[in-house]
Amino acid sequence: MSVGIVTLTAYSLVWPVLVAVVMTIIGRSFFKEWKEAHDEGISLV
Amino acid sequence: MNDSSAVQFGAVTIVLLLVVFYGGTYAISRVIRKKKENADEYMTAGNKIGFGISAASMTATWIWASSMYASASSGYEYGVSGPIHYGLWGALMILFIYPFGKRIRSVAPKAHSIAEVMYARHGRSSQLMLAGSNVVGSVISLMSNFIAGGVLISMLSPFNFIQGVLAVAAGVLLYTLWSGFRASVLTDFIQVMAMLGAVAVIVPFIFFAAGFPAAFETGAQNLTPAQGSFFSSEAFLGQGAPYIAAVLAYAIGNQTIAQRLFAVREDLIKPTFLTATIGYGAMVIGVGMIGVLALYLGFEPSNGDVNNIIPEMAASYLPGILLAVFFVMIIGALSSTADSDLAALSSIMMADVYGQNVAGKEKANPKTMLFIGRLTMILASAVAVAFASLQLNILDLLVFVGALWGALVFPVLASFYWGKVTNKAFTTAVIAALVIFIPVRFELVPLVGPLGILVDILSAVGIAVILGLMSFGFFGLRVAKIVAGAALLLSAPFVIGFLHDYATLSASLVAYAVSTLVCYFMSFRQKDDFDFSLIRKRTGDFDESEDEDTVVAEAADAPGAADRSAVAIDDSPRSSGGSASVPKKEDN
Repeated sequence: MSVGIVTLTAYSLVWPVLVAVVMTIIGRSFFKEWKEAHDEGISLV
Repeated sequence: MNDSSAVQFGAVTIVLLLVVFYGGTYAISRVIRKKKENADEYMTAGNKIGFGISAASMTATWIWASSMYASASSGYEYGVSGPIHYGLWGALMILFIYPFGKRIRSVAPKAHSIAEVMYARHGRSSQLMLAGSNVVGSVISLMSNFIAGGVLISMLSPFNFIQGVLAVAAGVLLYTLWSGFRASVLTDFIQVMAMLGAVAVIVPFIFFAAGFPAAFETGAQNLTPAQGSFFSSEAFLGQGAPYIAAVLAYAIGNQTIAQRLFAVREDLIKPTFLTATIGYGAMVIGVGMIGVLALYLGFEPSNGDVNNIIPEMAASYLPGILLAVFFVMIIGALSSTADSDLAALSSIMMADVYGQNVAGKEKANPKTMLFIGRLTMILASAVAVAFASLQLNILDLLVFVGALWGALVFPVLASFYWGKVTNKAFTTAVIAALVIFIPVRFELVPLVGPLGILVDILSAVGIAVILGLMSFGFFGLRVAKIVAGAALLLSAPFVIGFLHDYATLSASLVAYAVSTLVCYFMSFRQKDDFDFSLIRKRTGDFDESEDEDTVVAEAADAPGAADRSAVAIDDSPRSSGGSASVPKKEDN
């Protein structure tokens, strides 16, 4: 595979990877906040 | 390959998917439902939501169905750099406005809308201009999302467009009506998880199912040299540049963003905006790659309509279960923006129309406010459904609202930093910008000769204003002046004598330039300097019944409590008396 094809492949597939990273960050923060709110007996929003 | 009719859901499947999606979001909103809702929480969730929800909500709100369709269209039309010129600039705007967001929050920590702050800063005309533009913008956005839902449902199921529109409108209203903004942000989390999860799976799946990476080689002949370049000037001029001008205006003027700015805990503004920047960019560019893949494949969308690229590529390459995931992704994207629009509209009617202008801040009844908020949601949904059924040209309407917000950007931002800006300067600047914008945008007068040159000069000033404002947020006035000056000098030779042929871009830039020039020249000789601490006193909670005890307890427990509680009492709109709570007619 040429460098161009590898570059295009990486360029196409890096976005779903970034999306998965952001999803993990948001998800972990949400559940941490949900647990804190639950432990303190207050509403999350 | 393009025959999407072969891959459709049956009526039962589509109903089941809609019931699961909207039933699920409704069940979530039931969890936070209160017998006695608080009016302020209905609008901004008490100004204290955490990072996880606020980042999810900011991302979900900024992504709407059109973001995905337009990004894929950009990839299909402009090639490999197309999705970048849609998604990157949209994402960067979230980043660029966060310093302004911090400033806005610091001067008005308990406000509900930017329009409400403008009332506190200037008075009625500035507030109503901003509120009015938001009502128009949110109704159009609502209608656009309902249309996207109707089109998707009619394309992938036996149901028709109107049935699809009604299903989406009813679903969104169902879970947003009772708890307003609180329901909107909580369900945004679920919706954004669904959207992000779908993109993380669907894009790679289509990539390999369609025969990539080998198809990059076999399909290379389907691209022009410009489409195959990462640095296509065609893509920048045709997609990127007009979009930069439009989205900066959207980010500043749009109440759905402002509402989240006022809702998030003040110390979490920066991480929230940063995460939303990356989340939005990655997701929208990722979906845009489907358009690039379609281009390499020589894919022809039905009827030549580029809006069909995403659904038809999905229908062609995804198995049934992933097509259902794709369906949920699009429904999630349009629903999260539609519920934000409903929450934005209700808060404008509650705080700006009823709270500030009908009853007055001191006499506003929280129960009446809640009733008005819910009634607004029902009426707005009905109006949006009616307009959606007419299938008006959304793009023209959106461009008009974008320009309206473009005319507001400098006067609004300057009003938060520069004490000399007056209500008269604000109002005149916006009206003057619109008066010039309309004939340029709709080419009511031929832009030839000196008139064309004048429009080009103003466009160069508009470029300077946009880049100057972006720099100002991060680096301050000195750098902003240098950047604006350099932008003016560098862009002028390329713009003058050329840009007036691009009416949409020129008109937006002219709106920025005229509003800035008029606002500046009407303000700089003013001797009065506005006291920004007044804004904190003039904005604040309408419904203090449930929060009072907590606030007093927290103030008493905190270090330095005596000093701060004194300030808090002084700052309270209710205790500060009429003179501090209501701006006088002749106020700055």
